[in-house]
Amino acid sequence: MADVLTETVLPEDLKRFEKIYHEQLYKNDVTPKAQFEYAWCLVRSKYPADIQKGIVLLEELYKTHEEGHRDYLYYLAIGTARLKEYSKALNYVRSFLAIEPGNQQVITLQQTIKKKMEKEGLVGMAMAGGVVLAVGAIVGVGMAIAHKVKS
Amino acid sequence: MSAGPYNYSYIFKYIIIGDMGVGKSCLLHQFTEKKFMADCPHTIGVEFGTRIIEVSGQKIKLQIWDTAGQERFRAVTRSYYRGAAGALMVYDITRRSTYNHLSSWLTDTRNLTNPSTVIFLIGNKCDLDAQRDVTYEEASKFAEENGLMFVEASAKTGDNVEEAFLETAKKIYQSIQDGRLDLNAAESGVQHKPSQPGRNNLSNDQQGNKDNCAC
Ligand SMILES: Nc1nc2c(ncn2[C@@H]2O[C@H](COP(=O)(O)OP(=O)(O)O)[C@@H](O)[C@H]2O)c(=O)[nH]1
Ligand SMILES: [Mg+2]
Repeated sequence: MADVLTETVLPEDLKRFEKIYHEQLYKNDVTPKAQFEYAWCLVRSKYPADIQKGIVLLEELYKTHEEGHRDYLYYLAIGTARLKEYSKALNYVRSFLAIEPGNQQVITLQQTIKKKMEKEGLVGMAMAGGVVLAVGAIVGVGMAIAHKVKS
Repeated sequence: MSAGPYNYSYIFKYIIIGDMGVGKSCLLHQFTEKKFMADCPHTIGVEFGTRIIEVSGQKIKLQIWDTAGQERFRAVTRSYYRGAAGALMVYDITRRSTYNHLSSWLTDTRNLTNPSTVIFLIGNKCDLDAQRDVTYEEASKFAEENGLMFVEASAKTGDNVEEAFLETAKKIYQSIQDGRLDLNAAESGVQHKPSQPGRNNLSNDQQGNKDNCAC
């Protein structure tokens, strides 16, 4: 079975883009293109450590290179989903759809992630996680208000 | 898909390639969901779709990789060419430049796939005949010279869309039958999934249409 969450990069492809990236890194002149290509291969690796590295590179790009935002969000969602960090993945998908509602490619990704969660019996857990987050957020707001009142 | 034995006997891998904006993603969605997206956003990297079809009484699952045509994606999308059994190469009949770039797409495809890969040329947007910029005859001659199958199609009206995907599958299936395509080769783009005898036909009819989009 192959889909966007299960297909993997060939080691030789990963090596090729890794080499370009490292050459640029050595010269202290990394282009967003080289970093993105390397990260795109990393998040499709079968090794979680590679995927994690890819996510770090994409997060960095997301902060520094506005032009590619939609690309970075999309592959951040894929990377985190592959690491089974499903709430994070769905958050990336949601941020994307907030900017571009109705993007079929991203809606499909959302469905693929949810199907994978269902298969792993994780839907309930993610929802529980969501509740904890929400409670955390409310407590956070409460604390902020309390803080304001005090000062 | 979780229902035990496969309800198809083969998997064929396809790629869809061609310049940005020629209608690759619309062709995919027309084929997998029978709908047209009037304003389809640019594809990010690669998009994936599946559909189960039937050729000579065999159920075949098509795994289709739709690539982004933008230059900044091209280096990495090349790695998706490997192991494709079918390649749909698309241009836009209303934009000559997309036709002129075909030889470069063809070179890439030939270099990165194997000799048995079936390449199907699609002249898309044939509903816009009034704005035509490439004649049928010219493209047809190009296809013949390069040994490609060819149709003009419209992702908007659906004209010839089924045909392009199905004819490609038929040709691949023929290659398997003739022994020109080696199922055991690592990068043939075809996987054989022997289904359980007896159960096969039963589940086929019941599930055939449900799995239009297993995404
Ligand atoms: N009239 C017409 N427009 C089409 C057809 N196919 C695609 N389009 C439009 O062409 C644009 C680009 O299509 P898209 O599928 O995103 O192209 P891609 O970049 O090759 O994937 C979109 O605005 C589509 O609505 C077609 O057959 N006829
Ligand atoms: Mg597209």
